[in-house]
Amino acid sequence: MLNALAHFEQLKPNLSGDIGAREHALQQAERLGLPTRRSEPWHYTDLARLLKKSQSGQAKAENSWLLTHDFSASKPLYVSFADALLTRDTGAISSDFAAIEPANEADVMGLYNQALAQSGLTLDLTENLEGPVIVETSGGQSQHLKHRIKLAAGVQLTLIDDHAATGYSNISWDIELDENASLTFLQMQQAGQQVAMCEARLAADASFTKITLLSGGDIARHATHISLQRAGAQAQLHSAVLGSGDSHSDVTYVIDHQSCDTQSHTSSHQALGDRARGVFQGKVIVQRDAQRVDAQMQARAMMLSEGAEMDAKPELEIYADDVICAHGTAIGEIDADALFFLRSRGLDEVTARQLLIGGFIEQVLGHCEDPAIADVLRHHIEHKISALMGGKTEPSNDL
Amino acid sequence: MSALLEINNLQAGIGEKTILKGLSLTIQPGEVHAIMGPNGSGKSTLSYVLSGKQGYDITGGSMHFDGQDLSAMQAEERAIAGLFLAFQYPLEIPGVTNMTFLKTALNAVRRGRGEGDLDAASFLRLAREKSRALGMDDDMLRRQLNVGFSGGEKKRNEILQMAILEPKLAILDETDSGLDIDALKTVAEGVNAQRSPERGMLVITHYQRLLDFIKPDFVHVMANGQVVKSGGPELALELEKSGYADFRQGEPVHA
Repeated sequence: MLNALAHFEQLKPNLSGDIGAREHALQQAERLGLPTRRSEPWHYTDLARLLKKSQSGQAKAENSWLLTHDFSASKPLYVSFADALLTRDTGAISSDFAAIEPANEADVMGLYNQALAQSGLTLDLTENLEGPVIVETSGGQSQHLKHRIKLAAGVQLTLIDDHAATGYSNISWDIELDENASLTFLQMQQAGQQVAMCEARLAADASFTKITLLSGGDIARHATHISLQRAGAQAQLHSAVLGSGDSHSDVTYVIDHQSCDTQSHTSSHQALGDRARGVFQGKVIVQRDAQRVDAQMQARAMMLSEGAEMDAKPELEIYADDVICAHGTAIGEIDADALFFLRSRGLDEVTARQLLIGGFIEQVLGHCEDPAIADVLRHHIEHKISALMGGKTEPSNDL
Repeated sequence: MSALLEINNLQAGIGEKTILKGLSLTIQPGEVHAIMGPNGSGKSTLSYVLSGKQGYDITGGSMHFDGQDLSAMQAEERAIAGLFLAFQYPLEIPGVTNMTFLKTALNAVRRGRGEGDLDAASFLRLAREKSRALGMDDDMLRRQLNVGFSGGEKKRNEILQMAILEPKLAILDETDSGLDIDALKTVAEGVNAQRSPERGMLVITHYQRLLDFIKPDFVHVMANGQVVKSGGPELALELEKSGYADFRQGEPVHA
């Protein structure tokens, strides 16, 4: 997405909403330019440089085959986008962009999204659906999508983001959970270059579980900003990264505990092979008067090759005094003793390593409470791990 | 017929440090041998060198298992050939259920032995039967491997692996460490149930107590990287009285 102006001119006749506001956003974005390492939140993910490298074909995404997922056991509702166009829906959505609020003038990726978003899922639920909603994204072109999810009081939803687009995507998720609403959001990326921003606001006793699974694609930047606005709100944010080739995977969490009696549990497990780079940024903010907050954050990385790199930056910013906050970071290789233990039971080295990597990732998948969905994720990971270990066989797509 | 295990003048160590200094030991099928010795005598090194842990250099002598040169085999090849090490400190593997681990191990060993995979239902039956025989709860099969297991549960789980993999030679490395007397009895019963005329066992222990429950045919005293004295079960009782003081100098004592 290196030439946004040309892209805008091309899309302009078909864009909905306030074109003037879009043009303004685009101009502001162009003035700021794509983020580089000089911008603090992008310090480890120099997007300008990464996109240049990726789109010139220098970065080689290995395991570039795509897995399809069979969630049919869960009776899902599908919403599909290909090259930013809605290709399938279930009647539960609309794509009215006139009402999009202007992006933060300093948030360049948000501005690009506002200017160029062609489509997206708009879900305003007042009662439970019978199955999960699956958002499929595919295609090879540059695409901007803006999704908005609002759950009314007490509504429960499982949302699955199945991202297999091979081009560049800038995707925005705006999530609002009313009192006691509960959202489980599974986010998977296995291809392309994606910059995703998820902003969620939680009312009293609302619960948000987000499981992110990044297993392919040469750029994955997944930022999640959570506002825990009222007592009883809780967020569970867990991510698993399986990095290979020259992939760059960035998991960024900002959790803002605005109210007392709110909770957040965050974990990131990254297994990095080849020349893959992983980034974890986690910031927990506990506002003044937000007493009795419980915030736990853990980041772990398993380095599978000498060429892999991991950057982790956990931060706690605490202004209240009666809180339980902790964070931990561990970066290491596969445990040689564990490997020997498994080999002494007859497993060859490749199988033993696969089992250990699988166990490492499973600690994240284990947070998925729906057994049928968790099984789909497990099959996905099994295939990706076996590819990472050199068994580069095409999958049978029988997942 | 060749011996099950034949170690001849074995010398091994880590880097510059020699730990095993000319150790010899022969085990025939059906025999239970105990190796006793003070801390630092090289008992655990012997178990690791036999089972193929990386990081040890073999600088002299030989070790043959069932006629095959062990030093030329990877750890997994030794397991497939029928060698089993029950670990002194079994490892915790988060995210992998005991069941998945046991099934992967059994099928790896079966494939290596030219047998086919066991199907899921047959495996489940086998795992349940063997674990119940060891007084283990079915729940232990569903839990993550050794994660949150008590000391006794971990050791019982080692014996379960042995029962499922059916080795020709089991090396028990300080299986008694960290166990209270009840757990020790349970584990020992599990081991005794697996004694057979075909299977050899090498019981490594610091204390004679374990040998009250697993009765050895032969007892060896190890000191300073060598077997310095060998005898029958009575040798263990002797040691219980006199301690290891006589052997600490590392001078071979000819019985």
